[in-house]
Amino acid sequence: MMNRLLSSLLVSCALVALAAPADAQVFRYPEDARPTSLLPFFAEDMSSVRMVELIFDSLVIVNKRGDLEGSLASSWTADPDNMGIRFVLREGVKWHDGRDFSADDVVFTIQAAQNPKTVFNAKSKFGFIKDASAEGQYGVHITFNRPINEPERRFLFKILPKHAFKKGTRISRKDRFGRKPIGTGPYKVQKFGARSVSLEVNPDYWAPARIGEVLMQHTPDKSAQVSLLQYSGKQAGVQAVIFLPPKNVPIFENSDQVTLEPYHTVSWWYMAYNHKSKGLNDPVVRDAIALAINREELLEAHLGRGDILGGPFTESSPFYNFEVEPREQDIQRANQMLDEAGYKKKGGVRRKGRTKLQFRFVMDKELASSQALLLGIEAQLKKIGIRVKAQYVDHARYREQVFNRQKYDLTLNVWSFEEVEDVYPLFHSKGVMNFINYNNSEVDNLLDTAKSTRDYKKYKEYMKQLHAVLNRDLPYYFLWSLDVYSGLSRQLKGTFIQPYYYFTSFEEWELSP
Amino acid sequence: MSRAARLAIAALRRAAGGLLLLVGATFVIYITIRSAPGDAIDAISPMGTPPDVKARLMAEFGLDRDPFTGYLAWLVRSLTGDFGESLVFSPGAPVMEVALPAFGRTLLLSASALVVCLILAVLASLLLGESSRRQQLLTGPLYVATAAPSFVVAVVFAQVVNWAVNVYLVQNDYVPPMWYPIPIYTESLMPYVFAGFALIAGDGLFMDFFNAVRAELTALRNAQFIAAVKAKGARTVGHIARNMFMPLLSGYAARLPIVLGGVVIVEYIFTLDGGGYLLLEASRERDFPVVVGISVLFTATIIGMNLLADIVRAVIDPREVAHGG
Repeated sequence: MMNRLLSSLLVSCALVALAAPADAQVFRYPEDARPTSLLPFFAEDMSSVRMVELIFDSLVIVNKRGDLEGSLASSWTADPDNMGIRFVLREGVKWHDGRDFSADDVVFTIQAAQNPKTVFNAKSKFGFIKDASAEGQYGVHITFNRPINEPERRFLFKILPKHAFKKGTRISRKDRFGRKPIGTGPYKVQKFGARSVSLEVNPDYWAPARIGEVLMQHTPDKSAQVSLLQYSGKQAGVQAVIFLPPKNVPIFENSDQVTLEPYHTVSWWYMAYNHKSKGLNDPVVRDAIALAINREELLEAHLGRGDILGGPFTESSPFYNFEVEPREQDIQRANQMLDEAGYKKKGGVRRKGRTKLQFRFVMDKELASSQALLLGIEAQLKKIGIRVKAQYVDHARYREQVFNRQKYDLTLNVWSFEEVEDVYPLFHSKGVMNFINYNNSEVDNLLDTAKSTRDYKKYKEYMKQLHAVLNRDLPYYFLWSLDVYSGLSRQLKGTFIQPYYYFTSFEEWELSP
Repeated sequence: MSRAARLAIAALRRAAGGLLLLVGATFVIYITIRSAPGDAIDAISPMGTPPDVKARLMAEFGLDRDPFTGYLAWLVRSLTGDFGESLVFSPGAPVMEVALPAFGRTLLLSASALVVCLILAVLASLLLGESSRRQQLLTGPLYVATAAPSFVVAVVFAQVVNWAVNVYLVQNDYVPPMWYPIPIYTESLMPYVFAGFALIAGDGLFMDFFNAVRAELTALRNAQFIAAVKAKGARTVGHIARNMFMPLLSGYAARLPIVLGGVVIVEYIFTLDGGGYLLLEASRERDFPVVVGISVLFTATIIGMNLLADIVRAVIDPREVAHGG
């Protein structure tokens, strides 16, 4: 009740924040979170990733057809041995402060990324580069540590202006540039406020954008975002909601003001078992828990549409193994399995020796529908004599407690991947994201073999095998991947939502009055 | 010792006490924030961030020191006006560059709400005069209605405004009305007016002021010295106003902490870009220098206001100093 009250009041408040004068050609959109940094190396949250796309350019981009296209580079040639690549840069490009873009900026970006004192999470993406050198004002030659197939695909990173970093290639998260960025992209930063960012069109861009201004407003409440989209027909609302909550999708299905467009992100939900927890290290218990949970029911009731998973790959993934049958709820079978394994019910909770099937279920408060999902799971597990103790914690604490200290038995979360699923860090016993303490030599061997192969067909086969093994052994209970839709105002024309990056082709978007 | 000297000593003593209180408060705030589970690194770094990267970030963010050493270093630096840099909210920006403008808006909102509330209370007291049974029928329900916390008032109020906006938008082809949804980025004052209303109508603020003013006014009107002034045929307004100033100022100073507390949530509700929003967001992101910085501003304002009230009271009423005030 309180939530509903707060939601509806936030609608009116967000309306105060986002509505604008009638004559301005402004594209307005709300974000769930504030962008933390507009310095591309540190743009790690999705809100920052999307905004950086409007301000900066990369050498190449993936176009609407999924093909690679030159952006700051006009052409390129890979070295015959695939140990390097030569880019010819677009001429006449200017930074937002009027300075000329040149090959030195590309070299600087690579050197800055590789400087050991520049600390950022995606640093490993630059690890393959051995050296970069400018060849005149508009030529760059980059060499690699090892042969790389289709090396141009690795140059999607944004280019920084050398002249804006007086202290050299050591770039800090705290650099003022993160708040006052200078890019070559279609938009310049007008104001980076505490809860809003406004951008104005860059008239010097080689393909100037058609919408004059962009305004992003931090609007944490989803229902406020949806209401603002309902006003999108005229000037009162927003023109896009990036992630439309699934339960709200039907509102706009036959709307004459809003269209629904899929926003493809490679992501899936999972319930993680801590394999160091007593009871959960037993595959029978993990299997019984999986059999007790009705994923379709939870998905439909709380999150909307999506696909039920049988492993760590979504159906659109090249690694999806169609022979793997996702489990279906079977309470009877789950009870029978636990009985056979010697877990006897006492006072409603199963025990075997000193092992009691009562688990601490830690939830991130910021996860969508976290309370409803956990209540549903709790009720279903109760039917097989497994109890959970719910603990809801805020985001920072969740990361510390679950990911760092691993003080949990069960948890629920989502993984998102940039392009295709890379599950090595999740399930290899030495994987840096293996916070579940999972250790299975068969899985380790498969992942190691797959990693060392250069034959993509073989790699795919290994991944498909992995899919089957993980479905059987259940390091996680793989839940679902959601159908994600953006809501766009019908005032917008020429729209295309780039998977993951969202605004890559935003300069082609138009906003009719 | 002259009265001025006694006054100065009392003021200095109060100021020293206030400063100590502030230092104590910053210690508690700093240690609490630093001891909270999860830190700024957890808030920003994705899962799988290598330990060496984390360690370097910890050092860069000054989180590699234990909270006590960290506090001492912070205290020494803050004495020179350097409150550190924001870690997550606006990475690298000096804390006060982030906190001061936001807090300024908050303070302006709170102070304006209090001033408006005071003016309304005085006007209402003058209009209604002395309390009577008939008036109690009116003020009784008003008491109950305004006893709700300010954020609850804000919720209800926002619902009403929301409904009005909906009706207006539908009837006017979705063109926003001039009287309401004017965005914060156009420097409009309307959202602040709405928030101010919630502050005045909530927490029993208006009725408290109203009752205090009316009681004071009634007492003064019936006071012997006023009767004497009247008997001489002089005007009483000046005398009444001067004698009302002190209790009103005390009430004002006493109320400010409550209003500043309420404003944190009310600001969030009305999406205002103030200290409340900053405090909540920075806490969520574990940006402890910003949290400490903005808390210092809140605490210093409250202590400063109380100090100011004491000094003014002492200037007006010599007995305050004579009693060691």
